[in-house]
Amino acid sequence: MRESQLMFLQYLTGLLVVVFGSFHFLLISVLSPSPDKILYAYSGTSGAHVLVGGTLFYSWVRAVYSSLIWGSVLELLLTFLVFHVFNGFRVVLSEIFPGTRADKIITYALVIVALVVFIWGSRTVVLALNGGF
Amino acid sequence: MTIENKKGWIFWFNPFKYGTDRWMYALHRLTGIVLGLYLMAHVWETSNILNGPVTWNKIMVDLDYPFGVHYGPYILSAILIAASYHALNGIRLTIVENGLLLPKPYRPEFPYKPKSLKGLNNVLKLAVAIFMLVICGIGIVFIFTGAIV
Amino acid sequence: MEGSDMQEIVLKGFGEVVKTITFRIRRYDPENKELPKYMEYKVPIQKGMTVLDSILYIKEHLDHSLAARYSCRMGICGSCGMIINGKEKLACQTQVLELGKNLIKVDPMGNYEITKDLVPDVSKLFRNHETVKPFIIREEEEPKSEFLQTPEQREEFAMFTDCILCGMCLSACPTSASDELYLGPQALAQGYRYIADNRDLGFNERLNALDSKHGVWRCHFSGACSEVCPKGVDPALAIQLLRQVLTTNVFVKFKQKGTTKAPERKSVSGVS
Repeated sequence: MRESQLMFLQYLTGLLVVVFGSFHFLLISVLSPSPDKILYAYSGTSGAHVLVGGTLFYSWVRAVYSSLIWGSVLELLLTFLVFHVFNGFRVVLSEIFPGTRADKIITYALVIVALVVFIWGSRTVVLALNGGF
Repeated sequence: MTIENKKGWIFWFNPFKYGTDRWMYALHRLTGIVLGLYLMAHVWETSNILNGPVTWNKIMVDLDYPFGVHYGPYILSAILIAASYHALNGIRLTIVENGLLLPKPYRPEFPYKPKSLKGLNNVLKLAVAIFMLVICGIGIVFIFTGAIV
Repeated sequence: MEGSDMQEIVLKGFGEVVKTITFRIRRYDPENKELPKYMEYKVPIQKGMTVLDSILYIKEHLDHSLAARYSCRMGICGSCGMIINGKEKLACQTQVLELGKNLIKVDPMGNYEITKDLVPDVSKLFRNHETVKPFIIREEEEPKSEFLQTPEQREEFAMFTDCILCGMCLSACPTSASDELYLGPQALAQGYRYIADNRDLGFNERLNALDSKHGVWRCHFSGACSEVCPKGVDPALAIQLLRQVLTTNVFVKFKQKGTTKAPERKSVSGVS
């Protein structure tokens, strides 16, 4: 692939991440299924660290993951983010370690790490959509 | 024997003596690296949803109270600031790095101040700052109090 | 001049002595295997003296072994670029009194190999400049008539022809700081200068160098090159405009060899 095509995708995925990322931020605040719109709700005083509610409480996060629409939003966000992040890392690393051989090593190493992150994240989304284990 | 005299990658994060674009470049790169590393941690963290309510809630509390202190909101605020900066400045860079909203080639005149770093580019920088203030203001209030403005 | 009072040496052609300023200059001699070190010199500054004048004063009266490269002393040749108080400047165009400091730190330009003291080895700059083929490329061996150009067509690239190859943009560029294969703002701006020229048909021939892993896309618009350019060439603008050309042709399949016809570019030679 030509460098200009890769960087075109970098800009494109960047803009898509901005769109889907805003949904992701709204998801844990305004659009959360939780009745109390706060990240963490604890029982009693602040000394007792037991989570009893909030948008990050298990049931509400689970409810988000069970929805097909939110699941696809998260999966798409993950796809764009993984490309954007690891292409960005490739740019940064190839500027620290210039050279044809180093470029090759960086590219292959980052493709492997990117695939691991992508598969690990997709596993969460897909399995949670189907009701977990 | 000549010596290389390279400034090295540490110079990326040394924006002093140059203009605002140089500062924004350093911050863009810094926030990009931080957010990329955060993504990997975040993918691991959210994968715990499959491990049942007890594990999930325990991890949420542990991340909210790392080392027994209530650092969670500060960490989230830092991520929000980094993400909003990287996103908004990324939109600006998408515009100007593709040659849009930049001046046409002009004839340089004495004090030789570059026009590409001024004009509409400066307007975009101002827009980045204003939107960042709005988004971070709303977001940080939510993170700390749960109130949606 | 040995043993003479410093105040007695007054250069002709300048105003009266205003004050004494300390120059902290980085010294490096490749012949003795020592690391670079800073040496301090006290120079009585007269009105109108530039940093280059002060360096020549040091060389004449204080330390003959100091090496610096200069030629025209009026900001035309671009030989005396150096880092003055942390920022790349032409020594011949920097007034000492305008800096407003009592200690002036002078370093050789960064990102180049050093030949001696303040003399950088700028062969990297010229090598990169050659990589982008800085000449007009045509299909025909010998032109049959003049290449015509309207004033508007000339304005498209006229500002980028002002480059004096001082090399300060490569010293200021953060990408060049770590990536020695990066072409650098100077070469990329000159690449755009010929691509924007309507007489030129060598777009495809330059593409291999410009659209490479260490070509135009390693610029991140930090604007440091334009900030330090002594001629206002604005290389950052040229690089962004070059990227616009590449982005608009991102899905065009270029022939890397053979014909050298760029997309939507017509020759104007022979048009009256």
